[in-house]
Amino acid sequence: MERITSWVKTHHAGSSQARPIEPDTAVRIISNADKPTVIIGSRIMDLDGAPLDRTIRLARALDMPIVATAHSGKFLIERGFTNYVEMAVVEITNVVTDNKWGGIEGYGRPDLVMVLGSHLDLMNATFQSLKNFSNIPTMSMSRFFMVNATYSFPNLNDDIWIQCLDDVCDKIEKSHL
Amino acid sequence: MVNNQKVKIDQMKSPSLKMGNVEIVLGKIEDDWDEPMGPTPMPTLSELREWDMKLLNRYDPFYSPICDMCCNCAYGKCDLTNGKKGACGIDQKNQQARTIALESVIGAACHGAHARHVLGVQIQRLGNDFKIDMGLDIACEAPITRTVTGIKPRTLGDFKEALDYAEGEIQNVLASIHTGQEGNYKDFESKALHIGMVDNLVKEVGDIVQIVGYDFPVGQADAPLAEIGAGTVDGKKPVILMIGHNVAAGAEVVTYAEAYNKMDDVEIAGICCTAHDLTRLNPKSKIIGPMSEQIRFIRSGIADIIILDEQCIRTDILEEAEKVGSLVLTTNDKATAGLPNMTRLPADEIVNKLVNRDIRGAMILKEEKVGEVAVKAAEAIAPLREGRKAIPNGKNVIIEAKKCTACEECRRHCPPDLHISEAMTKGKIADFEGLSELREHCIGCGRCEQACPKDIPIISMMEKASEKMIKEQKFMIRSGRGPILDTEIRHVGRPIVFGEIPGVVAFAGCNNYANGAKEVAEIAEEFLKRRYIVVTSGCAAMSLAMYHDEDGKSLYEKYPGDFDQSSLANCGSCVSNSHILGAAIKIPHIFARRDLRGNFEEIADYIHNRVGAVGVVWGTYSQKALSIGTGLNRWGIPTIMGPTGVKYRRLYLGRNDKPKTWELFNAKNGDKLIGEAMPAHLAYVAESKEEAIIAIARLVMRPNDTTKGRQIKLTHYTDLYKRYYGRMPPDLHTCIRVEGDIPITEKDEIKKILKKAQWKEKTIPDPTLLERMVRQRVS
Repeated sequence: MERITSWVKTHHAGSSQARPIEPDTAVRIISNADKPTVIIGSRIMDLDGAPLDRTIRLARALDMPIVATAHSGKFLIERGFTNYVEMAVVEITNVVTDNKWGGIEGYGRPDLVMVLGSHLDLMNATFQSLKNFSNIPTMSMSRFFMVNATYSFPNLNDDIWIQCLDDVCDKIEKSHL
Repeated sequence: MVNNQKVKIDQMKSPSLKMGNVEIVLGKIEDDWDEPMGPTPMPTLSELREWDMKLLNRYDPFYSPICDMCCNCAYGKCDLTNGKKGACGIDQKNQQARTIALESVIGAACHGAHARHVLGVQIQRLGNDFKIDMGLDIACEAPITRTVTGIKPRTLGDFKEALDYAEGEIQNVLASIHTGQEGNYKDFESKALHIGMVDNLVKEVGDIVQIVGYDFPVGQADAPLAEIGAGTVDGKKPVILMIGHNVAAGAEVVTYAEAYNKMDDVEIAGICCTAHDLTRLNPKSKIIGPMSEQIRFIRSGIADIIILDEQCIRTDILEEAEKVGSLVLTTNDKATAGLPNMTRLPADEIVNKLVNRDIRGAMILKEEKVGEVAVKAAEAIAPLREGRKAIPNGKNVIIEAKKCTACEECRRHCPPDLHISEAMTKGKIADFEGLSELREHCIGCGRCEQACPKDIPIISMMEKASEKMIKEQKFMIRSGRGPILDTEIRHVGRPIVFGEIPGVVAFAGCNNYANGAKEVAEIAEEFLKRRYIVVTSGCAAMSLAMYHDEDGKSLYEKYPGDFDQSSLANCGSCVSNSHILGAAIKIPHIFARRDLRGNFEEIADYIHNRVGAVGVVWGTYSQKALSIGTGLNRWGIPTIMGPTGVKYRRLYLGRNDKPKTWELFNAKNGDKLIGEAMPAHLAYVAESKEEAIIAIARLVMRPNDTTKGRQIKLTHYTDLYKRYYGRMPPDLHTCIRVEGDIPITEKDEIKKILKKAQWKEKTIPDPTLLERMVRQRVS
């Protein structure tokens, strides 16, 4: 079996490494969370917005707000999705590390943070910050193995990545809707 | 002689005298400077700590480590994850803050050593007593020096004392980084802020010395336009290329070429800030571009002689130069590249050794000799080097592309995440468009080539694919004007403080762009069109030039170079960005008549609460850029970085949901109240161009804005938010204090939003963070 290494080779930071996961494991982790949340960023429109469409499906099934960073909120509006909060990726990461933070308005403090569609260094910064300064588990749902998340999809090609996201959405929808 | 030394006497008794609590300042007699000495001339590490803690209480540092370990001593490596402490007791937050302090020290040391070098050169040329004369329109010649050190420099020699102070502080902070010293992250941040301020000081010293010593433009809004871009260099002439940030050696090349009427016979061009300064000296000099051009231009083989000075010069330049037969001269003892020291040999002998290839290059530490050797050697070697370049031909590009197995190692090492293998696939069938497109986003670091298991010369292939485009790469940039005039400050000071000029946006820093250089120009033009003041310096100033509109004009040809609305003022090189801060300092001094002398806190407090300025470092990479930004932060000026800025590991983020952190005093009556969360952040990273634009519009708001001023700022903020984010800003109710703040065009819609948010009117204070600035206590 091929060893899974960080997509960005220089993201290796120390002694810990993300646990690589498949869609079924992702579904279990998401289902076990009381307040999962998902952060999307400026690259959510890659592949003609396919990742965004899956994120919306997931958010609808879980009745979960999306944290739209950078200018990604505009794309949610274009798709008629309004259950989102607009923050910078560094702002949401910063507040999540604070145990006293009141949480997302009307939703609460997340106990699982998923990330996809952001600039790779910023995604890594989120995972690094939460790994070092919070107890909240993180999950990379991007197509890259993000070594500093708690859980991450392995490195995938575009087609398999979208299939994985579809698989997660299908199963979550089945169990939650 | 002792200068500006404070002596404090708590209690003294003698037979004839009894006194207590007396502070005496010993120093020079300043007969023509009527400002009293302020409380903190040449502040030590602890003297401005209280001010720093006020900022750090508002903007609690946010950390995102890029390394979980500390490997700074032989106790380690120590793993600091999950709350673990290292062998010395340090925790992760403290280690991150320590790293920030260290990197700031490196940045400040670079600017400081540069300043010390040019000061030494100019004192040798002109003497200690050479007057600092900045012309009739600049009475406040050195606002940072005055405020930080309490010195009003009259001669070159006066700057020695300012640099002595700076060097002492750099050493002190460096010492604090040793294992087993500082144990609190906020105290480390305070040290980083301190050294950032020192960085501001030494940059100002460096640039003023350059200005008076080399007779650079002084606040000249219509400084001449110069050519920029690789296509501006005539490769048929002998070409001398200068790389670095210290113009001392380069200036002598220009001086020699001028003296021997050779300016039209040889091409003198530069990369990075030396290039800026060469055009300030003689606008016939050319600018190739920022650091990203180093490998590319050298491989083109156009340069006959490459002169290195200091900072941001690639450390493999000698190796790259040898591939194309270019000769290298090193001219600064901080970067000598292993070359033999030829300083003592006669110029002609060095030229012979170089031309005969007896030596790989030469280290020459006498600037005048560099000038003579460079021009003579370039003329001698040029005819012998015809056709030498490391760029493959079209056929070889296809052969190299065919070696690519699409393993994606290149992409996995590429900082801007370029899809290199896709371009290679096209290259295999002689379609070079993909490679050419990559070049527009490539930062020229060469990590892709290092990672490639097939040794494919990726950068060289991009160059070949872009050959036609490079030849057409000809733009115009306004030479660095240096400082902002006092007269300009008189004109714009009031509307800036009242918010009627919506903001001052300063573009500085490096070229490590996540999405190409064009974005910088696009962000700048958005605010130029909206009548903000736009200022710039360093590599960012070059990027602003390297973009044509539909009429073929760069921003410098479209907008005037004044410090005024809808103007684009290029101050010059990296060290010249001190004049941007200088302009912010002059506003309280000239418009509000605040004393500068040793009066840091009061001035920083004024700027933080009243001057709607924001720094944008979109392509940040270097330690110098970090110290520049951290310096601005200490004066209360927010900075916005591009995505790569997150790799500095630390930001200063404010929290709207923590009202107590925004406490301030109303100077009118002494009331302590919860102020607005403004500026919302002090050091911020934006992920996209769109986010940066929104952040700029948000971060220029200040608690002191008049209702008219806030209305103008909110008009831009809401308009931009709707355009880029597709709706009204969700934090609008936090930006409106009274009904008068509401933009007229949006009044009905905003009133509905305010009603929904249960908005209530707030007091508009005369804001200050310093209790001592309260003018009158009502209760």
